[in-house]
Amino acid sequence: MLHVKIPTRKEVIEEEKSKGKRIAAVYPIHYPRELFRVFNIQPVEVWGPPKTDTKKANAHLQSYICSVVQSGLSFYLEGYLDIVDLIVVPHSCDSLQGLGSIFKDFIKPKQELVTIYLPREKNKENVEFLANELKRIYKQLSQLCGFEPDDEKLMEEIKTEEKIDKLVFKFYKSRENLPLSSREFYTILRSREYLPPDKFKSILEYALLHASKGKLKKTGIVLSGLLPEPMDILDVIDDMDAFVAIDDMACCMRRVYGEGHSSDPFERIAERIVNGPPDPTKGNSFDERFEFIKSLADLTSAKGVIFYNVKFCEPEYFYHPILKEKLSKAQIRSLIIENDINEPLPQQTITRIKAFIEMIRESS
Amino acid sequence: MGVKDKIKYIFSYKIAGKLLIEYNTKKTFKNFKPPKNWRTDILAPSLRTGVYTKEIIAKHYLEGRYVSGVKPVAWVTSGAPIEILKALGFYILYPENHGALCGARKVALEISEEAEKKGYSIDICSYARTDIGATLSKKTPVGKLPKPDLLLCCTNICQTVLYWYRVLAEYYKVPLIVIDTPFVYDEAKEHDIEYVKKQLEASIEVSEKVAGKSLSFSKLKEVVRLSKMAAELWLEIMNANKNKPAPISVFDQFIHMAPIVEKRGDPETVDFYSKMLDEINERIKNGIGAIKNERKRVLWDNLPIWYKIRFLSEFLAENGVSVIASTYTNAWGELAPMMDIERPIESMAKTYVYPILNRGTGHKLKTMETMVKEFDLDGAILHSDRSCKPYSVGQMDQRLKLLNELGVAALLLEADHNDPRAFADEQIKSRLKAFMEMMD
Ligand code: SF4
Ligand code: SF4
Repeated sequence: MLHVKIPTRKEVIEEEKSKGKRIAAVYPIHYPRELFRVFNIQPVEVWGPPKTDTKKANAHLQSYICSVVQSGLSFYLEGYLDIVDLIVVPHSCDSLQGLGSIFKDFIKPKQELVTIYLPREKNKENVEFLANELKRIYKQLSQLCGFEPDDEKLMEEIKTEEKIDKLVFKFYKSRENLPLSSREFYTILRSREYLPPDKFKSILEYALLHASKGKLKKTGIVLSGLLPEPMDILDVIDDMDAFVAIDDMACCMRRVYGEGHSSDPFERIAERIVNGPPDPTKGNSFDERFEFIKSLADLTSAKGVIFYNVKFCEPEYFYHPILKEKLSKAQIRSLIIENDINEPLPQQTITRIKAFIEMIRESS
Repeated sequence: MGVKDKIKYIFSYKIAGKLLIEYNTKKTFKNFKPPKNWRTDILAPSLRTGVYTKEIIAKHYLEGRYVSGVKPVAWVTSGAPIEILKALGFYILYPENHGALCGARKVALEISEEAEKKGYSIDICSYARTDIGATLSKKTPVGKLPKPDLLLCCTNICQTVLYWYRVLAEYYKVPLIVIDTPFVYDEAKEHDIEYVKKQLEASIEVSEKVAGKSLSFSKLKEVVRLSKMAAELWLEIMNANKNKPAPISVFDQFIHMAPIVEKRGDPETVDFYSKMLDEINERIKNGIGAIKNERKRVLWDNLPIWYKIRFLSEFLAENGVSVIASTYTNAWGELAPMMDIERPIESMAKTYVYPILNRGTGHKLKTMETMVKEFDLDGAILHSDRSCKPYSVGQMDQRLKLLNELGVAALLLEADHNDPRAFADEQIKSRLKAFMEMMD
């Protein structure tokens, strides 16, 4: 157990606003943090939030739209985002595409709306397209903010993000040496969703100071999916004397991008996102996803994979059967469960997770 | 190309099969009678030219049975830019059309369950489930589907197709071309079009390699010309419904749109739609409406409910409701003017970015509003299709706008285009009754 004081989203927003910064509410998943920062805009991500009453969104969205989008819209309609200056909707999937479009055409928020189209597939043309898309957003932001930061400043922000990505990777690699519960580990990691880089960096560095030589003697799990919400899933795993050794989650590992190579800042950000870890919403192949998940398991002592799916999330659904088969051939067991981020974990799900952990423990 | 395959193809398809189908069509056309149980008391006699729809589709699937090893085979998404493949001589199969056919023949559920058994969630698009189920089990009402040599997936209808085609690529181990089309929130940007153009250009090399020959640009232009002609005729057929009574119901359009989706770029398709247009004009001249008693004129939004076309068509016709305009069938005609025969690749890049499904919710509302005015409609049925998120998200706001700003009755009808488990006859009937009361 570490005593790290992590400010809340609300505290960060208030503090950054008092410093004259603008705040952008950012919907999932991939977006260029650097580009917002260079305009003195603090991104604060909206992943739901979980346990939101989605009544208000029901007037705009059918019940078969996932709870991340339902909650995200309700959260806005309840007025919790009144304080922000921009709303950013990346084009991650058909449902978020719909959300961006409803915002633009029907809800018409008073805040500036920024949409980002993320190309599918990994190749040169896609990097070029995304770089152009980022230039378009740069223009939109400079009109909003009234200034045009130069390439050098943008490059500085990119390098800061690259350093943080490296640090995050180190944090993951030290996971087994850290005296943290899964909930604590992910609370720290996910504070990147709203903290300014220097604050996040110092929290990570502080946590890393506590890494010990001895390893956790628990059963490691790879958690795959969108996000670990409700976070009770982490407690259920820990209660079984197991822990999340590493993850393949959209809010976490799938956004730990590698370094870019280009000296053009827009291209460099694009390279980082396009060539980043595989992600269903980027349409990566089964082999890329399998190799990635396997490499995560190999990197740690993880013995099994839990696919924790948000109900109605199509991008994730399509990959499960084949990934499960490939993992099984590689002697890695996996379990697929699904949930609504606004619902408590059903007892049946808890029982399945427990049975799964017992099974992999016995067979290893 | 195997000699045996070729002989089989020539004999079973080109000679015996094709001739037999054509002979049957001629006979049926000559002694034309509406299909059995056709409700002539409430509906106009079915279109005579409809026998050619059957012929085109029957020939298409028959060719598919024997085509492997003779022509390269591509499986493509419904909004994909197929002109390049056509010009290279590919046999093109549309899994979505095959899915629709399974739906209309009421076997989609059985086939989808094959995919569900293998772990594909019931919450993924029912077309994808039907197709994956057919791939895994080889079940199909058309006898046999040819294996693809190439997959072409264009994201201009949804992102779902990207994951679905990944599954197919994994299963068949063949190259997958992805044409990624940036979503158009208002207007497409220059870099969006450039991006699509570059992908189209890059796709030529892969397709040529699979086809084993080079693309002839004059052939490509010819395909684009035929594709544009057919789409223009289709648009004209749909626009004929501005007449009163409207000559062709949307339910008939759903059936007769198969060639414009599946056989775009073929000369037979142009012939077929010009024949159909003649028949439609004949109907207009004689004052024949799609339904006998056109009391109310209505729009249909979103995909058809394939397994309930007849049920819906008859129930609405019994009550004097003619469904005569649709954002869905319109999608295969509205972009025809954008195709430029002299600049095929550039114009394809632009055209394929603009389908209604790749445009914002506000654009769809505008399309519906225009239809309400131009077709003089009294109401709109918005099929809230749980399988198709890109088409359905936004409908709740669109419905309210139609209701409050245009003053037309608008109904949100919850169902699924291919999964009958999402359809309850009595519940749907009572929703439709309430809708009809709103229009009175
Ligand atoms: S949970 Fe899935 S469907 Fe929902 S917003 Fe995220 S990626 Fe899209
Ligand atoms: S999600 Fe909609 S557009 Fe996509 S394949 Fe399914 S029905 Fe077609």
